[in-house]
Amino acid sequence: MADDTLDPLIHVPTRLKIVATLAALPDGDALSFTRLQDMIGLTPGNLIIHLRKLEEADYIHSKKSVNGSVSITTVALTGYGREALGAYTKALRELLGGL
Amino acid sequence: MNDTLDAAASGGGTFDAQQAAQVLGQTSQQARRQFEQFPPWFSAARGIAALLAYGAVWLDVRGQHPYAHPTAALIPVGIGLGIVSATMATVLARRATSGVTGKTPLRPAEVAIVSVIWLGIFVVLGLLAGYGVSHSIVYGVYPAAAPLVAVGLAWAGIMARRGNWLAVAESLALVLVGVAAVATGPVWAWLVVGVGLFVVLLGRSAIVARSQRA
Repeated sequence: MADDTLDPLIHVPTRLKIVATLAALPDGDALSFTRLQDMIGLTPGNLIIHLRKLEEADYIHSKKSVNGSVSITTVALTGYGREALGAYTKALRELLGGL
Repeated sequence: MNDTLDAAASGGGTFDAQQAAQVLGQTSQQARRQFEQFPPWFSAARGIAALLAYGAVWLDVRGQHPYAHPTAALIPVGIGLGIVSATMATVLARRATSGVTGKTPLRPAEVAIVSVIWLGIFVVLGLLAGYGVSHSIVYGVYPAAAPLVAVGLAWAGIMARRGNWLAVAESLALVLVGVAAVATGPVWAWLVVGVGLFVVLLGRSAIVARSQRA
């Protein structure tokens, strides 16, 4: 089995970190862009690039809300994204078990 | 174009399955730790503090025949410990849930319910004392067991709505400790509550620590 069995959208260090971090939250919870940025340690521009890719694939869902004069963006893993991470983890285990 | 963006954003370099497994494991572990509202050390510290505090009350009252009440000097110590514990729990929970929206953060209505129950416990205590109910209830069984039963049941309900089954199990275990304390009478109730809280909180600490390592 080769690395190409792994979901290429998740199999990028930063995106794997994003998805794994969001998966640690209970289903239905969302995380603010700024806390996610703090936890992953990325620049806002970099994080936006990866979030956009994950959102295009429907792995995450982002929501913008306004609280007074402050705009808050929250990000959550979708059910589809959770399934994708599950499948990725399974493929990774099989791949490493076969070494 | 997309590959270029990926390479730039991920810092480039190769990424094999072994490294992916490492990144996945480390990130998941760190995230679970950071999102945990009551870390294992805090639950363990609360368990030890409860054992010492309730144990001190039991040592104080165990020679009383008939039962009178704990020494007045222990009351401010107990209240102080309760305030420190509640304040630390609030600070830790706020830090863990900072930026988190959805089911996890407590809603104002839920905070209000728990606050009203605590207030109700003290109001009923005052009424029992006012109506001249026996010392073994007013200064023994009731203050030892009532908070565990009343707050435990309310908390179990709140956590069940969120699907937080560890918290539900913990709350129901505390309710059982409270019921056991009622059954043992005013002197032993204090020790039963101290040991019960110690066991439940240390058990929680062990379960959370284990799940964070998984």
